[in-house]
Order: sequence, then structure tokens, then C-alpha cells
Amino acid sequence: MAQLNDFGSTPIEREKAFIALYKKAFPSVAKYISKMGGDFDDAKDIFQDALVIYYEKSVSASVVLQTNEQAYLLGIVKHLWVKKFRENIKQCPLDDSNLDFANEDEAQPSTNKLMHYLASAGQKCMEILKAFYYDNLPVNKITELFGYSGVRSATVQKYKCMEKVRETIKERSLAYEDFVE
Amino acid sequence: MRTSLNEIKLIDGYIFNCNPPEDALLFDALLILNPELPDQIIWQKRAHAMVQQYSSKKLRAEIEAVHQQLFNQPAHQSFKQMILNIFR
Repeated sequence: MAQLNDFGSTPIEREKAFIALYKKAFPSVAKYISKMGGDFDDAKDIFQDALVIYYEKSVSASVVLQTNEQAYLLGIVKHLWVKKFRENIKQCPLDDSNLDFANEDEAQPSTNKLMHYLASAGQKCMEILKAFYYDNLPVNKITELFGYSGVRSATVQKYKCMEKVRETIKERSLAYEDFVE
Repeated sequence: MRTSLNEIKLIDGYIFNCNPPEDALLFDALLILNPELPDQIIWQKRAHAMVQQYSSKKLRAEIEAVHQQLFNQPAHQSFKQMILNIFR
């Protein structure tokens, strides 16, 4: 059974891991996409989506590789390509009577605004929460990376940040709703 | 840890289904006693969704930076050429 990739805990360690994965797996992905009639940009987009999926599965330990990581990544790529192909087929030709999807995008601006606000005003908290919940780093590693005095203060900070983000979302969402209405 | 932070910890345990049995019992009792708790669960789930969205966007940017490095830096010229030849 192959080991899961170790992505490390810092952007520099992740960069090394992604360069290694690109060199190992992108050539076979490019050959597959080219054979299926796709171009360089298709290969790039689908491979990057596959890397995000692979990273998320690796750090959450929700996958046990029965094969090597190149084959696993190629498997994700094939799945994504078939999905993309099916979605393209489903798209009906547009005529004027079909252009009634303005309402679908109404919720989007408030989410985007909120994300923009959290990414700027609350960046430090978002980074801490990312380290805990998305990168699934061990708490002692997070303590070291963010310079906390101990594991306990890092843990308290995690919950303070969750509270701050939750309250921000609550306040801002209600304000945006008022604005839309 | 102050009460509101303990509540956040319990809600996390509830969302991720990882509260130990005694905390799960306590949380069930709080759900009955605190009518605002169901709303707090919803907002906390939204916060997690935003963290997920923020994080995957940041990861995607790191991957894009790697791509730019591999396809623009002379050190990786042979790799770039090998890939471009596949699409000729």
C-alpha cells in the first residue's frame, strides 16, 4: 500500500510537494487530455482541480491509496474529464426565452463581499482557521507556526477566531439581506 | 476557556460528530435550554463553509504559482518542452 503524500505545513514545503507532483503526474495527465481532444489549458485546469482534491483527501486522511499517487491523480483527472464532458453535453442551445437566470446570481455578491471582507479584515483569523480545519495541522505545529506561547493558547485562539468569523458572517449576512430587500 | 468559547467547541463537536459521550449529552441538554443554539449551529456551519472556500482558493493560488514557475523559469525548460510537445 502506498503512503499518502506529505505536504508539510508551510507554503514552501507545499510548493516543493506540488512541484514534485507536477513533474511526476502532469505528463501522463497531459497525454490523456490530449488523446481525449483537450488542449493545454484543459489539462492545466483539470490537473489543478485534481491536486486540490488530492490535497484535501490526503490531509483529512479520508483516502487510503491502493495504488501510487500518479495513478490516483490520473484517476481523478479521468473522472473530472468525463464529468466536464457530460456537463457540456447537457448545456442546451440558448435562445431568448432561455435567458431567465438573473435570479440565480443574486446570492453571489453578498458571499463574495463577505469573503473579501474576511480575507482582508480577518485575514489572521482565517489563516489560523485554515491551518486547523483545512490543512488539519497538529496543534503543536500550529502553535509553532503562529508563535503562540503554548498549545492551550493556540486552541483558545482557534475558538476565538471561529466566534469572530461566525459573528461577522451573521452581522454582515443580515446587513446584506436588508440591502438586497 | 470562557462559556461562549466552550459552546463553540461543543458545536464543532456536534457538526463533526466527534463530541465524547458526556459532551454529547450536555449538548443535547443545551439544545433544549437554549433556543438560540440551533441558529448558532447554522451560522457556525456557514463559517466552516467560508473557511473551506477561503482555504481552497488559497491552495489553488499556491498551485497556480507552481505552474507559473514550471512553465516560465529556464530551470524547468525541458519539462515545459516535453509537455508542450504532447499538444503539438
